[in-house]
Amino acid sequence: MTRVAIVGIGHSRFGRRTDVNIGELAFESIKQAVDDSGVDRKDISNVVVGSMGSWSEESLPAVVVNEYAGLSGAGTMRVEAACASGSAALKSAYNSILSGEGDVAMAVGVEKMTEVDSSTTVELIGRAGSYTWEFENYGMTFPGYYALYAVAHMNRFGTTQEDLARVAVKAHHYGAMNPLAQFQKEITLEKVLGSQVVAWPLKLYDACPLTDGSAAVVLASEEVAKKLTDTPVWIRGVGYSSDSANMSRRGSYVGLEAAVRAARKAYAMAKVSPDDIDVATAHDCFTIAELMAYEDLGFCKKGEAARMIREGQTEIGGKIPVNLDGGLKAKGHPIGATGVSMAVEITKQLRGEAGKRQAPIKKGVGLVHNIGGTGHYAYVTILSRS
Amino acid sequence: MSEPPSLRSRREITLRFEIPISKTREFWASLKNGKFVTTKCSKCGQVSFPPQADCPKCMSGESQWVDLGRDATLVTFTHVRITPPSFAKVEPYIIAIGEFAGGVKVLAWLEGVKPEDAKPGIGLRVEPRTSAEGNPYYVFVRA
Repeated sequence: MTRVAIVGIGHSRFGRRTDVNIGELAFESIKQAVDDSGVDRKDISNVVVGSMGSWSEESLPAVVVNEYAGLSGAGTMRVEAACASGSAALKSAYNSILSGEGDVAMAVGVEKMTEVDSSTTVELIGRAGSYTWEFENYGMTFPGYYALYAVAHMNRFGTTQEDLARVAVKAHHYGAMNPLAQFQKEITLEKVLGSQVVAWPLKLYDACPLTDGSAAVVLASEEVAKKLTDTPVWIRGVGYSSDSANMSRRGSYVGLEAAVRAARKAYAMAKVSPDDIDVATAHDCFTIAELMAYEDLGFCKKGEAARMIREGQTEIGGKIPVNLDGGLKAKGHPIGATGVSMAVEITKQLRGEAGKRQAPIKKGVGLVHNIGGTGHYAYVTILSRS
Repeated sequence: MSEPPSLRSRREITLRFEIPISKTREFWASLKNGKFVTTKCSKCGQVSFPPQADCPKCMSGESQWVDLGRDATLVTFTHVRITPPSFAKVEPYIIAIGEFAGGVKVLAWLEGVKPEDAKPGIGLRVEPRTSAEGNPYYVFVRA
């Protein structure tokens, strides 16, 4: 079986991008990724587009994006795994190379979220669960879903609102070093704790923003990758799982069981353990989500995530630096783009191209943790220099 | 900094869904009569909530309705302060997950409790309600 490598990366500026439509926004990343890889576009057999949509005007984003970038004719589809759509696109493109369908494929993630007013988006994202049983009568919101987990985690392990706030402060600290991030300024613990309550105990600064953005990666088979680049980043493990649509059917509310299963599969496939990970991205759509990720990924024991963030274990110089790009919180979270953006970030880190926010790379292994919905979908991808 | 130019779409879309409930009709009808029921698989005994005619465990299509009673224990909750626009006329609400004897869990509003008094472990009771449109639904109150 061939191995598959990331041989080209592209990433747009994230934020409120009212200057571009969805095709133009995706193009920014696609062009960078194509140039970075050195591939000829006609050799790209498959373009998989991660996008959730419904808040932007195009119903068929994949063909719109491909037309704008001169990629019409390639095999294509849009994939949806909510906020993990980008990782689902990456996995699908990866599988198409593994299967021998082609030697070069591309995963594109793109989302245009600010073309409708933000309250409409609250309405649409609130339906990301089980409509009849959670939204129709009870008006569930996306922060509300994660707040159910936050309350349970605080109650069980003594995690505090300050611990949650520390995640946001860390995100903004690194976001301030990322020129592509939506928020490039530091914030204080007091600012987070004093921000408006959205769904108690979660506040405005516990939540990621609504974001327009795109990211792209070019993947190649081992034979082609070695011809194209001296710095391929190999996809060594892909784990994925899912959980119930209804929150009431979850086993517990102190972790995401789908993420635990996805991580287990990814570690087994890559033949690595959490101790081998030099740097990671964790899906911090809300601060509680990053803390649960530390535990679900085995970076610490169950219930010890608060201690990890208090001790700075997930900063540069700590045990496993997490979200050195600012995370979803500060970099922004264009739903379908996020998983691909995370793969771009870990590729940069493993290539040693992350500048001021470069993690020390010892074993050459990085991890992408990307969650869709409230643990409805989970993808863990392990990347490696060797 | 001025906004870049944009084209405001003239073509508006409104979505309303007709959601089939024929296979869970018994649930909604029982609720109107003050009973909180759900499905139990006749073959393997799996109790499911939300109710479903087909068993997710053994795939049998034979199920019976069982009464869950009224009493539950609060597992977790949130106080939703920023509500969706379609709930604009509703005051901020508490959403709770309650666990019934036997382990079945249900998500619903928790009414009549101050947010600071909501805590995992407190006793809840499920109560039927009727929406302004005449549709049955259910909420938790403090036991």
